[in-house]
Amino acid sequence: MALQSKPTQVNPDCEKFKVRGSRLRVQASVLAFVFLALGFSTRAALTPEQIKSLPPPAAEKVVFARDIKPIFESSCIKCHARGRSKGGLQLDTRATLLHGGDSGPAVVPGKSQQSLLIELVSGLDPDNVMPKKGTRLTPTQVGLLRAWIDSGLQWDPKITFARPAPLNLTPHLPKQKVSLNSKINPIDQLLKPYFEKTKFKSPQVVEDHVFARRAYLDVIGLLPTTPELDAFVTQPARASASTLPVRATLVHHLLSENAPYTENWLSFWNDLLRNDYRGTGYIDGGRKQISKWLYSVLNTNLAYDQFVSRLVNPTPECEGFVKGIVWRGTVNASQSPSMQAAQNVSQIFMGVNLKCASCHDSFINDWRLVDSYGLASVYGDGALEMFLCDKPTGQKAMATFIYPELGEMDPKADRSARLKRVAEIMTGPKDGRLSRTIVNRLWARFFGRGLIEPVDDMEQVAWNQDLLDWLAEDLVANHYDLKKTIERILTSRAYQLPSVDLGETTPKDFVFRGPGIRRMSAEQFRDAIGQITEVWFAKNEISSATNQQARAALAPADPLTTALGRPNREQVLTTRASAATTLQALELTNGETLAKILHKGAANLASSSLAPDELVEQLYRQSLGRHPSAVEKSLARDLLGDPVHKEGVEDLLWAIVMLPDFQLIY
Amino acid sequence: MNTPPSLSRRDFIRTAGAATLSALAAGYPRQLLAEEGKLDKPKPTADSVIVLWMAGGMAHTETFDPKHYVPFEKGIAPSDFLSTFPSIDTSVDNIKFSEGLEKLARVMDRGTLIRTYTAGDLGFILHSRHQFHWHTGYAPPQTVAAPHLGAVIARTLGPLNPVMPAFINIGQRFDVGESEEVKAFTTAGFLGSEYGPFNIPFPDEAADSVRPPGGMTPARFQNRDKFYKKLLGASPISEHGSSYQKDSLVRSLDNAYRLLDSPAAKAFDLTLEPLENIRKYVPEYEPGRRFNAKQDRFGAKYEEQMIGRFGLGCLLARRLVENGARYIEVTTEYIPFLNWDTHENGHTRAAAMKRQIDSPVSQLILDLEERGLLNRTLIVLASEFSRDALIEGRPDKKVKDQVEVPDKIQDMKFYGMHRHFTDAGCVLLFGGGVKRGYLYGRTADERPCKTLEKRVVIEDLHASIYHAVGISPRLSYEIEKRPFYVTRDGKGQPMLDLFA
Repeated sequence: MALQSKPTQVNPDCEKFKVRGSRLRVQASVLAFVFLALGFSTRAALTPEQIKSLPPPAAEKVVFARDIKPIFESSCIKCHARGRSKGGLQLDTRATLLHGGDSGPAVVPGKSQQSLLIELVSGLDPDNVMPKKGTRLTPTQVGLLRAWIDSGLQWDPKITFARPAPLNLTPHLPKQKVSLNSKINPIDQLLKPYFEKTKFKSPQVVEDHVFARRAYLDVIGLLPTTPELDAFVTQPARASASTLPVRATLVHHLLSENAPYTENWLSFWNDLLRNDYRGTGYIDGGRKQISKWLYSVLNTNLAYDQFVSRLVNPTPECEGFVKGIVWRGTVNASQSPSMQAAQNVSQIFMGVNLKCASCHDSFINDWRLVDSYGLASVYGDGALEMFLCDKPTGQKAMATFIYPELGEMDPKADRSARLKRVAEIMTGPKDGRLSRTIVNRLWARFFGRGLIEPVDDMEQVAWNQDLLDWLAEDLVANHYDLKKTIERILTSRAYQLPSVDLGETTPKDFVFRGPGIRRMSAEQFRDAIGQITEVWFAKNEISSATNQQARAALAPADPLTTALGRPNREQVLTTRASAATTLQALELTNGETLAKILHKGAANLASSSLAPDELVEQLYRQSLGRHPSAVEKSLARDLLGDPVHKEGVEDLLWAIVMLPDFQLIY
Repeated sequence: MNTPPSLSRRDFIRTAGAATLSALAAGYPRQLLAEEGKLDKPKPTADSVIVLWMAGGMAHTETFDPKHYVPFEKGIAPSDFLSTFPSIDTSVDNIKFSEGLEKLARVMDRGTLIRTYTAGDLGFILHSRHQFHWHTGYAPPQTVAAPHLGAVIARTLGPLNPVMPAFINIGQRFDVGESEEVKAFTTAGFLGSEYGPFNIPFPDEAADSVRPPGGMTPARFQNRDKFYKKLLGASPISEHGSSYQKDSLVRSLDNAYRLLDSPAAKAFDLTLEPLENIRKYVPEYEPGRRFNAKQDRFGAKYEEQMIGRFGLGCLLARRLVENGARYIEVTTEYIPFLNWDTHENGHTRAAAMKRQIDSPVSQLILDLEERGLLNRTLIVLASEFSRDALIEGRPDKKVKDQVEVPDKIQDMKFYGMHRHFTDAGCVLLFGGGVKRGYLYGRTADERPCKTLEKRVVIEDLHASIYHAVGISPRLSYEIEKRPFYVTRDGKGQPMLDLFA
C-alpha cells in the first residue's frame, strides 16, 4: 500500500530535530541554541595563537570542481543552498558566498585566516562549529578551503548550488513532432524511437478476448459478458489491418457507459481523496463525505481542471476533502486541518510530498517548512505560525502557493479569495504540473508503472519525457477531458502489447515492454464475482437510480474487500499493493464473506437446470472469456456430478475465481 | 502443473521455509540501518510476545497499585477515597494488589510490576487515540499509516512456526463503537497486509477461523484444493510462465491451505482442551458455553455476563504459543463505556473485570512455566491509561471532563474511578527474561496518585519489548524515502533494569 520508494541513503539527522513529548521542556532550550548557533554570530578577530592552530593551507593547486565542490556538497549545502539560507548565508554562487550571511561576509578573498568560514569549520570555538550537524571537516579539507580562499576564490561559474528549476512544472510540448493525422497513435509514434533505442522489436498485439477483458476492467471495472465478448470478437471483416479501429470503437463505447465507468473510478478517487471513510473524526463531527458529489462529477465527466478547482476551492457538497480530519484532543502541528489540506492538495494534484516539510525543512527533497506553511496558511485563518517539530517558532508564514512562479497570491486577501486564487493558479495556463501528474497516474494505472515512479514525486525525469509531455499537453488541448486521455492510451498499440512481469518492485533500469501483469482491485474482484453469481450488494443511496443492486465501490468495506486491499482511507493512497498475502488467502479460503456469496451464487446457478457441460461452458466464458478445454471440462464434470449438485458448483466457482487467469489482468 | 495429492512433511517444511524466506527477503518497505550494518541487534531473551490488553483504561488504584480504601456509604465524597477495594498481600513483600486479584497476587514473584506508565499528552481524551498511541508508539493522526507493535514484530522477525500467522489478535470485534478508530491501529500500516493481524474476535469460535467455511466437510475442503491445483495445471495461463503476480497468488493460497491442514490448526480448537484445564482459566465454564456477538452488549451487567471470554482468549494464547505463535494480543475488548471503560458503576465493573482476568492471566503464567515456555515468552499486561475518581488527564494538565461527578455520592453507581487519568498506570511483565518479583517505579499515596519516580513512556516500554525479542529501538523502515523508526524517531530506550 505504501507509495513505492526507491532505496536511498537516509539522513540520520532527521531525528535530531525531533523532540520527545515528555522531555519537551529540557530540549527546547537546546533547540533554541541550535538555531542561534546556525547563524554567523558577531566575533572578534582571531588571536595569533588561534591563527597558528589553524590547519595550514594546502600546498597543491586547488581546483574548485575537484576539491571544493565535494566539501560543499557533503557538509554545507544542506543548510546553505538549494533554497535554504540558515544564518542568512547562501552558498549558491560565488557572489552569494561573498555577500555572506547575517554576520557579514563569509570569506575574505586572499585571506583565509581572516575568513569567518575558516574560523567556523576549523572548530576554534567548540560552541560554534560548522557544519552544525554531521561530521566535522578534516584538517585536509580545511587546508583545501584555505588554499582556495588564499588563491582568490576561483569558482567555475557553471557550477551552482542554487535550487534547480522544478521539473515538469511548466507547460511544454515534446521535442519529438507528433502527427495527429497519422493512422499511428501518437503514443506509438513517441515510443518508436524509444523502442529502437532499447532494441525492442514490438511483438503482435494481444488477441481480441484478452484485449476486451483488459479494456472492460480498466474502463468500467467489469468483465465483458459473454454476449458482449461474442459480439466483439466475431465482428466481420477482421483483417489484421483493421484491428485498431474496431478496438477503438469498443474503448469509445465503454467510456460512454457513464454509470459503470463512474462506479469503477470511484474507488480510485476515494483512495486519493480519502473519501468514503467511516472512522476517525466522526465522533466529534470532524469529517465530511463527498461521495454524492464525486459520483455526479464522474458520471458527467466534469473536466479535470474544473474537478480540481471544485476540490481545492469547494462548495459545501465537496468541502469534505479540504476540511480533512479533525481529531479530538491535541494533534501535532503538522496534522492541523490546514496542513492536511496543504499536504493532500500537493500530493494528489501536484505530485509533491510535503509531509517531511510540514515538520521541518525536508531532508529528502528541497521543500522547506515555510513552503508547507505557506500553502497551509491559504487554508488557515490567515498567516499561520510555523511550528518546527511541533514547537512554535514565533514566525508566521504568508499564504502562498508552493510554486510561487505559477502565480502570485495576495496574502492579505480573505480566505475565500485565497482559495479562489489557489484554484486559478493550479488550473491556470502556467501550470504544467497538474496535467502531468494526472496523466502519469492514469498511465501507471493501465501499465502497472508510471512514466514517473513513484507517482507522487513528479520532480523527476520520466523514462519517456516526450510521452509524458505529450499526454499532458494533449489533455489540456482536449479541455482536460480525462476520458479523451484514457481513450488515447487504450487505443495505442503499446496498451495492446502482451503483458509483462513487472515483479514486486521495478528496478531502476526499468525498460518499458508493455503493460505489466496487474491484479484486479478488491472492488473489481468482488464485482466480477457479482457478475458470475448474480450476488451483489444491496442498493445504495449514491448509486444510480436504475440500479437495484450496488457494486462494491458503493458498499461499505467488508472483510473480503478489506483483505484484498481496500484501504481504510485515513491516509491518501495512490498505489495499492498488489501482492497476494497469506492473510488474504485465508480470507479467500475460509472467510465467511466469500463463502456466503459463492453459496448463494451456486444455488442460483444450480437451479438453472443446465447440464454439467453447459454450466462449465457458461462459467468459463463469463469468468475467463474463453471456452474450457477438454481437460478442464472433464475435471469440472467430475466435480459437478450429473445432475449437478450445489456443492460441486460452489467448489467449481471457488476454484475458478482463485485462478490467476481470473484474478490477474493479463 | 503436477501436484502431489498431499505434501510430505519434508516438502512442507521446505516450501514453507522458502515461502517465508522469500516473503521476508522481498518484503517492501525495506529495513534501514540494519541492512547497512549500523544497528546493534540485542540478544533476544524471548521468542514470543503475548500482550494482554486491558481495553478502556484500567485504574491503577483498583488493581495493581492500591491506595487508601474507603468503603461505600451514602453521602461519601469522591475526594474521600483513592481505592474502592481493600488491598491484599502478594507473594512479593513490597507489593500489594487490590482485592479480587488473589491468584495473580500469588504469582507476582514470577514477574515485574511497573507502576509508572504514563500515557501521552494527547489533550481531550479519546480512548482510541490513546490505544493507537500505545500500539504504534505514535500519536494519531500520522501522515503514513503507522504499523501496530505486532506487525513490526511480524515484519522484522517473521513467524516462529512458518504456518502460524505471525500476528494474532484475539478478542476484539470491529463492529462495535469506535471500531474504525480501533481498526486504524490494528493494522500493519505501510508495512503491508502480509504482516497484519489475524483477527479472532471470539476465542470460542477460533477453530472456525482455520476450518473450512461453514458447512464444508474437511474431505470436501481438501478435495476443493486438489481440484484447484488440477485446474490450475490445466489452465493455458501456465503457458504465460511464472510471474510475480501469479506466483504470489498461488503461493499465498498454498500457505493458507497449509495452515488449515497443519497440526498447528488444532491449537485454535478449544474443544480439544480438557474441561479441567479450561476451568483453571474460567472457573465457571460450562461445556458449550458460547460468547458471541448475539449477546446483549449493553446490559447493566454486561461485564459479569462476559466473564470467561477473555479467559478463553488466554487459554487460546497458551495453545498458540505452544505451537509457535510469534505475537499474540488478547484483549478484554474495547467497547465504549463497557469493560475497563468504567464511566459509571466503576466499583462493580472493576470487580467483574478483575474476575475476568485474575484466573486466566495467573494460569497462563503457570501453564507456560510448567511447559518450560515462560522463559522465552514475554507476557505484557497493559492499558491505554489509568483512571481516577476526580482528575481528568493529569494533575498539571487537566483536560475537559467527560463525566459528572457529584460532590456527595448517594447512589452506588457514582462510586468508582470514572475519569481518565494519564499520570500513572500499571504494566505487568512476566517471562521472556524480565526480573522476577520486581517492582519498578513509585506513585504518590495521596491524590493525585501520580508518578513520583521512574516514569515510563511508551517509547521506552516498546523499546523494552523489542529488546526482549532482539529488535533495536533504532530499527527503521523506509517509507516515502524517509525512515520510520520502530520507536518514535528511534529514541526509545530499553529499560535494561527490567531484565534479569
